[in-house]
Amino acid sequence: MIEVAHLVRRFGNVLAVDDLSFSLEKGEVVGFLGPNGAGKTTTMRMLTGYLPATSAERLTVAGYDVLRQSMQVRRCIGYLPESVPLYREMRVREMMLFQGRLHRMPRALLRRRISEVLERVGVADRESQIVGKLSRGLRQRVGLAVALLPNPKVLILDEPTSGLDPLQRAEVRTLIRELADEHTVLLSTHILAEVESICPRVIILREGRVVADGTRDELIHTLGGAGHVAFEAVVGDPAEAARLLESLPGVSRVVTGERVGIHQAFAIYGEGDLREDVGALAMTQGWALRELTWCRPTLEQLFARLVLGGGSGEEESPLAAPPPPAQGQAAPPAGSAPPSTPGLELFSGATAPTEPTPALGEVGRKAVFYSLNPFDQGAARDFSAPVRAEEKRPEEKNDADQCASGDDPTEEESA
Amino acid sequence: MRGTLVVYRRELGALFAAPLAWLLLFIALLLNGALLTLLFSSRASLSAPVDISAALEMLFGQGVLFWALMLVMPPLLAMRLLAEESASGTLEYLRTAPLSDAAVVVGKFLAGLSFMALLWSSIFVYSAGMAHFGTAPDWGQVVAIYVGTVLVSGIFVALSLVFSAATRTPILAAFLSFIGCLGFLLLPAIGARLLASMRVLMADAFGSYDRAERFLLDQLSRVDVAQHFIRSYFRGIIDSAEVVFFLTWIAFFLFLTTRTLEARRWRG
Repeated sequence: MIEVAHLVRRFGNVLAVDDLSFSLEKGEVVGFLGPNGAGKTTTMRMLTGYLPATSAERLTVAGYDVLRQSMQVRRCIGYLPESVPLYREMRVREMMLFQGRLHRMPRALLRRRISEVLERVGVADRESQIVGKLSRGLRQRVGLAVALLPNPKVLILDEPTSGLDPLQRAEVRTLIRELADEHTVLLSTHILAEVESICPRVIILREGRVVADGTRDELIHTLGGAGHVAFEAVVGDPAEAARLLESLPGVSRVVTGERVGIHQAFAIYGEGDLREDVGALAMTQGWALRELTWCRPTLEQLFARLVLGGGSGEEESPLAAPPPPAQGQAAPPAGSAPPSTPGLELFSGATAPTEPTPALGEVGRKAVFYSLNPFDQGAARDFSAPVRAEEKRPEEKNDADQCASGDDPTEEESA
Repeated sequence: MRGTLVVYRRELGALFAAPLAWLLLFIALLLNGALLTLLFSSRASLSAPVDISAALEMLFGQGVLFWALMLVMPPLLAMRLLAEESASGTLEYLRTAPLSDAAVVVGKFLAGLSFMALLWSSIFVYSAGMAHFGTAPDWGQVVAIYVGTVLVSGIFVALSLVFSAATRTPILAAFLSFIGCLGFLLLPAIGARLLASMRVLMADAFGSYDRAERFLLDQLSRVDVAQHFIRSYFRGIIDSAEVVFFLTWIAFFLFLTTRTLEARRWRG
């Protein structure tokens, strides 16, 4: 339905869309995901013919070339820009009539379609209200109704849920999901939950380039790996336990985490769901279990990695280490391999993982937790040592100093 | 063509849905009516017979008020037609709808022109009033003046649209259009002044400056809108050559508007 190959758009010196290629089959619902300025709107505008492409090998919608057969393309596209442009002085019905006339719909069909579409988006009772006096959510729906009126083959929706309250957002989502039966839908958003709930397929853009394209599960699998099993139990010797765990079938790697009290944490990487095997091992060894969880990366983590973790590998994500002096400790030391994501480097060139929970470290490493509470000053606390009120402050100072001094070497090593 | 008509209908409806159009009409008609009354009453007090043609000419073409309205109204209309739409984002809607840029521009131009035609149609009311209460005016002249007035308005509406297409800020568009219209109207006068002031300078440099100056002045007078209007329609003649002159300029400005809009696509 939509085919884009090597699409480029410049604004002066700025490369807004850089060699973009993707295609949509009939009946697909695809979400464009990306931070602000990633080129989502520009791409959509080029698809509608509003903006011409600087260069493109192929840019077709419903089999028509966007540049050469612009009118045919426009006739089969329903486009809702982010700003929801509607004539504010017109009534809802008038606006719909205008749209119908622009699309040269026969009068009888137009009349039938108007009530049908207004009913569908749930504004049938607002037919004679003036558009400018409607609330944001209602206007959004009227905009959707206007886009839907000529029954277009392709729907292009630019941030269809921005500015809506959660309830309205859920309604619009349901609506879009319903529309998927009849239309090919391309929608953009920067809200992840939305994409996860509406779109089976996601295209993630960054700086005008496709960094990932596929269904949610595909993306998670290829880019994030199969995940790992978080295992926490009372084991005797951590090294011995790790060796035992590694010997399990399907396990590729075991990362020994920190020890909290008597419990030792491990992260077990391997194929598929390893919980049963690990549980069985724990039973035979008589380890007292505290946690056994299959942690799979969410789309959100993936998105954060792809979008924030790109650029230079030395830079840590701001999410990962809130207090600047403690950065060295937040990053796992080079000795313990960070949870690797093989597919990731291919796309973003990221070398440093930016997982918000870098809780894993070497054996015997002090467990340091960082508080996100800005009022909790000197928020690094060592949980492995018993906490004493008087000693707490100086010890922290020490910690911070160590971090500051140990900062540079670790950074260099990881780079 | 149908697209043009759809845009035209919407535009006209929107124009009269907003208070601006009514306000403009009110002010223009008030001033026009007051001027006419003033003309009549001042002549009457001198106990001389009132020259109806002279009064009409004063109102349409010779008076300052006529040209002032001609310069003020089209920019205010045009600013709504394109710049405001571009500011509110509806231009994006219109330009992704299945109709060409030219259709949009022509539709909007026709709507603006229709408003101006309505504004000036007061000439028929005045004439009918005169015919009812006294001497009937020369109806041929009245019709010719009206046609000419509408054509002159067309030039200024089209010229204002060029500026309206070039900017996103309505007020700026109105201001620039006003300057543009003023410049276009006064082009011959400004040109003549400029040439006269350059005469001393140029005479030293070139011997036969007179011929060049005459040639330039001649060319300038060709684009003298006021002269074209007065020369033909004023005398009650609808000269096809004059009609072509006005239509050509209108077409040229509309072409420029369309191109300006297209250029904006490239800039983004």
